Amino acid sequence: MFEESEVAFFLAKRSIVRGNKGTLYLTILIIGMVFVNLIFLPSIISGVAVLFNQQSIDYSYGNLVIEPKKNQVYINNVNELQKKIERVPGVTGVSSRFLTGAAITHKGNAVTPALYAINPDDERRVLKTASKVISGEYLSEGDTDQIVIGYRLAGNEDEKLDVIPSLGGVDVGQTVDITFNNGVTRQYRIKGIINSDSYSTDSSAFITKKEYESVFGLDNKANQILVRTQETGNEDKMRTTLMSFGVQEKIWTWQEKSANFLNQIIGSFNIINFIGTIVSLIIAVVVIFIVIFINTVYRRKQIGILKAIGIDRSIIIKSYVFQALFIFAIGTIVGFFFLLLILQLLAANPIVFPGGPVAPVVDTMLIIRSILSLLAVSLIAGYVPAWITTKEDILSAIRG
Amino acid sequence: MIIGRDIQKIYGMGTVQVRALKGVSFGIDKGEFVGVMGSSGSGKSTLLHMLGLLDRPTRGFISIDGIDVGTLDERGRTLFRLRRLGYVFQDYALVPELTAQENVFLPSMVRGMSSHECTLVCSEILNLVGLGDRIHHLPSEMSGGEQQRVAIARALVNKPAILLADEPCANLDSKNSRVILDLFKKLNKDLHQTIVMVSHEEWHRSYFDRIIFMKDGEIDNEKNETPVS
Repeated sequence: MFEESEVAFFLAKRSIVRGNKGTLYLTILIIGMVFVNLIFLPSIISGVAVLFNQQSIDYSYGNLVIEPKKNQVYINNVNELQKKIERVPGVTGVSSRFLTGAAITHKGNAVTPALYAINPDDERRVLKTASKVISGEYLSEGDTDQIVIGYRLAGNEDEKLDVIPSLGGVDVGQTVDITFNNGVTRQYRIKGIINSDSYSTDSSAFITKKEYESVFGLDNKANQILVRTQETGNEDKMRTTLMSFGVQEKIWTWQEKSANFLNQIIGSFNIINFIGTIVSLIIAVVVIFIVIFINTVYRRKQIGILKAIGIDRSIIIKSYVFQALFIFAIGTIVGFFFLLLILQLLAANPIVFPGGPVAPVVDTMLIIRSILSLLAVSLIAGYVPAWITTKEDILSAIRG
Repeated sequence: MIIGRDIQKIYGMGTVQVRALKGVSFGIDKGEFVGVMGSSGSGKSTLLHMLGLLDRPTRGFISIDGIDVGTLDERGRTLFRLRRLGYVFQDYALVPELTAQENVFLPSMVRGMSSHECTLVCSEILNLVGLGDRIHHLPSEMSGGEQQRVAIARALVNKPAILLADEPCANLDSKNSRVILDLFKKLNKDLHQTIVMVSHEEWHRSYFDRIIFMKDGEIDNEKNETPVS
């Protein structure tokens, strides 16, 4: 058995070293490109997932979201609850807020965005929205007649440039009217405009919680509490901890809150990726198959002669499998270097998605999976044509 | 050494059948240099293919070295060819990517010989066929005669019981043909190597101990020759 493999390896080595170099280099290059293709698209998809996940945490939900109990509109005694949560080990920030809808108008432009009523200082400890003000300033604790809006909501004078219904290009210092759900209408001065690259944040408006409470006559209530934890990834454990500290309201993790949106995006990407992967692997099979098949057909007579002088068919097949494995191994290494080059280029010039710049995420499992799938197709594409050609009887092969 | 009884080979199992061998019986002793001669289509190559285990007779019995080769399965036939037979083809049939030395030691490698042993045996045999100084040359760097001598060295490397040669001089000029035939004669004489060679050249007759003449798939006659010394 070992002698057989040794002879097969010897024949494969000589065939590679002294065979047609042009075909060999081209085949290796194609396999290298297939390897890049197997890794690149999934790494971009992972990058998009990482980006959206981080945006969900940084601009929308923090790590945990507490909402009113079933059949209740508000979380009552929110100040006490907030203090209680702040004392839980591992919690670094807590922000109670109202999430509501409102009609905002400016010079005939009317929109109904999500309106957040926040405690600006608390919000800073949970979300990074305050650091994304591109014009003007973020809200302060005492602000009553001020509003901060996302740049998509502010919009453009030329409405063709808008992605969502907007206020027609409002700027800092201008005023807008807000009509709340209870019918109260008040005027607010735009204090700042935000660009966070998070689609939902950039389409929303923010006023202080104090102002909202004065409009609705509420006190010590909220309909949402965001919680930021020291570590990301142990949300389930922190949820249990909060419950053990007496939090009876509904507690969601950021994954649960953003699941539908993210799953839709990743689901669509995965379909594209699946098709891309299958096409790549088919290309790899076909290329290696054709190269080995042409090689074996071209050497049909030689294969017949090898069999005639007592070289077993299995040795001949193995020698072609070894050649396919060589093409796979060098192709993978070449592809790996191409991939590194592409990653370097992307680090310098990142692909900018609507959510921001995406860094490809290449994890070990992805590389291992790609190598194994390429290895499997190489083995098949090396074995089958050699098996077909060596099946022919000796005299037919020798006669060509 | 070789016993053949009522060997028949019929090609084409449909309505058109070609009877390439029509019941051939013969015997070849150890150390004999036997020529198989006859006109084109007489069945001489077909007979050699049967003896070389490259094809199976439709009917009949072949025994080589006391073994009924008809009972061997495909794997057994391959091993038999490797261990007991040496085959020289008309067109040398060397592996183009292997040097003379590598072509020769390939069958030894399959038998499990170490590379050191292979090198020693190959050098010895390549010296024997007069190619001691060409061992690292590729087939494309050698003349037809040299390539055929490499093929003979390859056929001999496993010390076969029988050396089968299918018109080994067909692609060579008379000078190179003589070199090959002299080599066969030397091997036959010095090593007591049994050789069965197919030929259609009249002047080759003087090299054979005995000639089996074939005609229309049958043995026409057998004749002992006075070989060249």
